[in-house]
Amino acid sequence: MASIARSLRPCASRLIVRPSQPYRALPFAARAFSASRAAQVKRYSKDHEWVEMSADNKTAMIGISEYAASALGDVVYVELPTVPMEVAAGDSIGAVESVKSASDIISPITCKVTAVNSLLEEKPGSINQGPEDDSAAGGWVAKVVVPEAGVKDFEELMDAEKYKEFTEE
Amino acid sequence: MSPSTSLTIFLRTRIRHNAFCNTYKRSVHTSILNSPFIQRATSPTTGTNTQIYISKSRNPYINLSIEHYLLQNTHADSTILFLYIDRPCVVIGRNQNPWVEVNLRYLEREHPQPDLVRRRSGGGAVFHDEGNVNYSVICPTAKFDRDIHAEMVVRALKSLGVERVRVNERHDIVMDPDEKDGGPVRKISGSAYKLTRLRSMHHGTCLISSYLHDIGGSLRSAAKPYITARGVDSVPSPIRNVGSMSTDEFMGAVVDEFQEMYGEDTKPFCVEEQEGKHPVIKKGTDELKSEEWIYGQTPQFTFDITRTNTTHNPVHSFSTTFTARNTKITDFTFTLTGLNIPPELSQTITSSILASPAPFYTINWTDHLLSHASNTQELDPISNMKRVNENQKFPSAKE
Repeated sequence: MASIARSLRPCASRLIVRPSQPYRALPFAARAFSASRAAQVKRYSKDHEWVEMSADNKTAMIGISEYAASALGDVVYVELPTVPMEVAAGDSIGAVESVKSASDIISPITCKVTAVNSLLEEKPGSINQGPEDDSAAGGWVAKVVVPEAGVKDFEELMDAEKYKEFTEE
Repeated sequence: MSPSTSLTIFLRTRIRHNAFCNTYKRSVHTSILNSPFIQRATSPTTGTNTQIYISKSRNPYINLSIEHYLLQNTHADSTILFLYIDRPCVVIGRNQNPWVEVNLRYLEREHPQPDLVRRRSGGGAVFHDEGNVNYSVICPTAKFDRDIHAEMVVRALKSLGVERVRVNERHDIVMDPDEKDGGPVRKISGSAYKLTRLRSMHHGTCLISSYLHDIGGSLRSAAKPYITARGVDSVPSPIRNVGSMSTDEFMGAVVDEFQEMYGEDTKPFCVEEQEGKHPVIKKGTDELKSEEWIYGQTPQFTFDITRTNTTHNPVHSFSTTFTARNTKITDFTFTLTGLNIPPELSQTITSSILASPAPFYTINWTDHLLSHASNTQELDPISNMKRVNENQKFPSAKE
């Protein structure tokens, strides 16, 4: 799959930036682009949130993991943060309600929330359909600006492989 | 003195208060920061892996705050049972709309007035009074299961001779109808959950001997047909009391079943109302009591009403819609038409409401309308309310 992706680049690069596997392929794909081109790295927290950091370490997207979304069951309401909101790692940036259960969405990094996915307010089910989907129709939660401290927090998170082991424990 | 030593001393000085609830003798000088309850709840030792607490407070805000304190502060591996009874109150789910779920006028008219409470867990609206027991089980998230503790309560009920009870697909406890009497399946207990990374809480109600008339009255909102709301709707179900036992007997049976499940023979610990003075618990109580949480936390909703009075010629009509989001009115339309009503009045009122800096739930609509109505002669649809109009609460945009 990765080799196909490489053979298609750069024109198809946008198409392959989707959940499941693409993030492992990206560090390689990124070399083909000019330096300004954003390549994301995705990491996971023990609270089951993901953070996708832009290549310049300045901005990121946050959402809940596939694992969390399926564990929670049908999401009926997503409480989003008000924008802008400055939070430290571990602070709540919203909450998800599913099957009578409320669960906080915890920011894995220190950051400033600059935008939220308002689609989730109208269609909370989007978070079940594509919790790690960062597109306009996806289930991502927030876009954030990341200060120096946030980059440090990010580095301490788990990569996809470690996170998978963590959820299988 | 290590926490475990101090605990043994307390165990020795325990005095019996009633059938199943023990309390600790303590000096009035015991710091609220380090009371036996706080010590026990935050004990880092594994010897206290199963803990049972019974609240003596009837204050729903304090009880929910103690429960939240236990969720956040007890040992990560411990399993906690917390039982409490609230004075009459309506408790809505975290993401519900009080104007849709609750008959607020009904609550205002009752004496004593029931409290309106928004809990931190999900789910729908319920009514509590002294005939209803709330049970709450806090356990490691790894062991979380939506039904396991509802099943525990079912076993407790069966141990007291209650038959035909079971957990249904909505994780509620229901009672099947008697074969002779028939009738619908009736709910006796509802559940809600709060999940965090390490700790999860399942709390539920159980109607033992509640005043059911109040439940219907307080949960039927007159405003519901005019509101389109995001968030979570309640699912109304026929309800009934378990009857045939006291709340104390029920609590005793739940304690027995909990001990049966978790092995350790720990005696229930009575939580005094004054534990509510602990700064963390007090902060939680204050948050729960704040208007910002009770009303301001309401998910976005739109209110839309149109009224036409055809007895006048020309016809008088009134319509207003507003959308409230994050404590603010984001959209507002207001039209009032009829004889002697200046056409610009609607616009004046609209601007005045939109310019109001206050949270939408504190706006005094009547004052707003009357402040402008006073400038108008014979403003028919609301002329009978003209009298109060001296103090204009909010400045209008045009001033």
